[in-house]
Amino acid sequence: MAMNGTRGYHSGLVDLVSGQISREIFVNDDIYAQEQERVFARSWLFVGHESQIPNPGDFFASRMGEEAVILCRDRAGAVHVFLNSCRHRGMKVCRYDDGNTTVFTCPYHGWSYATDGALVGVPFFREAYHSELDRSKYGLIEVAQLCCYKGTVWANWDAAAPPFLEYLGEFRRFLDLILDGWDGREGQAELLGGVQKWIIPCNWKFPAENFSGDTYHNISHRSVDLVGAGPSGRSRRDYSEFNATRRLHVALPDRGHQTITYVLPRDQQPQAAYQNSPEVAEYFRHCEEERRRRPGANSRLIGAPGEIFPNVALLPRQPRTLAVWHPVNAHQTEVWRFFFVDRDAPRRVKNFLRDYYIRYSGPAGMTEQDDMENWNYAHAASRGVIARRHPYTYEMGMGHAIEDWEWDGLRMPGRVIDLTKAQASEEPMRNLYRRWAQFMEAGSWDELMTWRQPPAREARAQAEAAQ
Amino acid sequence: MSDPVNVRGLAVGARVVLASGAEVEIVSNPGDGVWVFGRYLSTADATEAVGDEEMIFAQDVVEIRSQEVHGKRSA
Repeated sequence: MAMNGTRGYHSGLVDLVSGQISREIFVNDDIYAQEQERVFARSWLFVGHESQIPNPGDFFASRMGEEAVILCRDRAGAVHVFLNSCRHRGMKVCRYDDGNTTVFTCPYHGWSYATDGALVGVPFFREAYHSELDRSKYGLIEVAQLCCYKGTVWANWDAAAPPFLEYLGEFRRFLDLILDGWDGREGQAELLGGVQKWIIPCNWKFPAENFSGDTYHNISHRSVDLVGAGPSGRSRRDYSEFNATRRLHVALPDRGHQTITYVLPRDQQPQAAYQNSPEVAEYFRHCEEERRRRPGANSRLIGAPGEIFPNVALLPRQPRTLAVWHPVNAHQTEVWRFFFVDRDAPRRVKNFLRDYYIRYSGPAGMTEQDDMENWNYAHAASRGVIARRHPYTYEMGMGHAIEDWEWDGLRMPGRVIDLTKAQASEEPMRNLYRRWAQFMEAGSWDELMTWRQPPAREARAQAEAAQ
Repeated sequence: MSDPVNVRGLAVGARVVLASGAEVEIVSNPGDGVWVFGRYLSTADATEAVGDEEMIFAQDVVEIRSQEVHGKRSA
C-alpha cells in the first residue's frame, strides 16, 4: 500500500475497517517528520522521576521526542523542564547526564542560565551589547505544561492540551500500579539505580505496539521461560496467581492508552511468589496481604504490560519498570528504561529485584533481547519497495470487544476483550493506531478532546432547543 | 596579553582583578570555567558599585591578586 495523500491517514494508511495498516507509517521518512510535529509536540511525554532531582540545583538531561530537555529543580525547589538549547546559537547548555549546578553555561559563547531558566550571564553585555539586550526575553525555553504525579514528571509543549490527569483519563489506575507501593500505599516508588539507555534499529512504534499488550508473541520468549529466569526459578515471571484471574485487554479509545491486566476474584488470597529467596517471598506475601486489605479497585488488579500514548510503556509488576521509546529517526529508536522499587523496601529485597530486573529487561535482559530481535528485523524487512506494498494485518478479535465490562463487582473502563479464553487479540494495537491517526489528522487539541464534546444526540437536542 | 586565568580553580574568598581594573572577591564558583560570582571590592569606573555582587565572565579576569589555599589567604 503506497502512501496516498488524498485518502488521509485514517482511511488510507490506518484502515481499521479492514484491519490493515500500511508499512509506510513505520518506514516512511516524511511520515516520521510529520509525527514530530503532530504527535510528539502535542502529547504528554514522560521526562523523569522526582527522586532523580531531590535537591535544589539537581538536574537530569532527558528527552521529549527528538528534543533534548533538562529536568531540574531550581534553588527555590520548583521543578522545571527546559529545552536544552541556548537561545543565542542553539548549543546544548547541559552536556552531563545528571548532576547539581547553580547555572547552565553554554560552552559556545558563554551565555549562562540559572536553574529557573533565567538568562543571568551574557559575556560582554556592557561592551558588545551596550547593555541594550533585554535578557528577560531570552531565558531557556520552558515546556507549556508540567505535571508531577506521584513522583513521575510529565511535560507537554502544547498549551492547548488537556491537563495530564485528564489526558490519562481512567487509565490512571494502571499507572498507579507502578507508582503506588506493593502494599497499596500511594506513591511509594523510587528509581532503582540509573536509567538504562540504548539504541535499536527500528521505528518507535514497534516497541510501542508490542507493549500495548501483545500476548500473541509469547512464543518468542519460550527460551526464557524454559531457562526459568523468573523470580521463583520457573518461567520468566510468577504466574501462579493468574490461574485464578480473568485476563483482559483494556483499551481507552478516546485516549489511545491500552494495557493487559489481570483481575482477581473478590476474596482471593495472595499466592506464593519470589520463591528464589525466602526473605523476599515473605516480604511480598506481607505486602500483597496489606494491599488486598485496602479499599479501592486496584487491590484486585495485577499489572501487566501497557502503553500510555504515544511512547511510554508500563510494566507494573515483574519487572516493575517504565520504558520510553524516544524517536531518533524513522529507522532508529533510543530506549530508556527506568526501574522502580518501593523506597522503604529492605535492601536485600532491592538487591534481589535489581538482579531480576536486569536479567529480564534492558539491552542485556533476556526477554528484551527476544523482543528487539523481532522489532529490528521486522523493521528491516519492511523497508523495501515490494514489502511496502503489503500492509500488516490487525484483524485479530475485531468486533469482539465489549464496553461496560464487569466481573464480580469490578467494572473496567473503555473497550475490553476477555483473554481468559481468547488468549490474544489485537484490540490494543488498533486502539494505538486509531489514536495515532487521529493525532496525525487533527489540526488542534480541540479535535482530539472528543470526551469533552457532548454526544451527537445531545448536541442535536441542544441545537434544536436553541432554535 | 597576559596568560589566561583558569577561573575553575578560584576558591571562595579569592581576590581577582578584572580587565576594567576593578578588584573582585569570589563569592561562589559553579566550576564551569566560564563564570564566577564575585563581589566588587573596588571599581575603576562608574559601571559597577563597590559591594555589588555580579556574575564575572572568565575572559574579564586578568589577574589573581590573592588565592584561598587550605583556608588561608596567600598573596
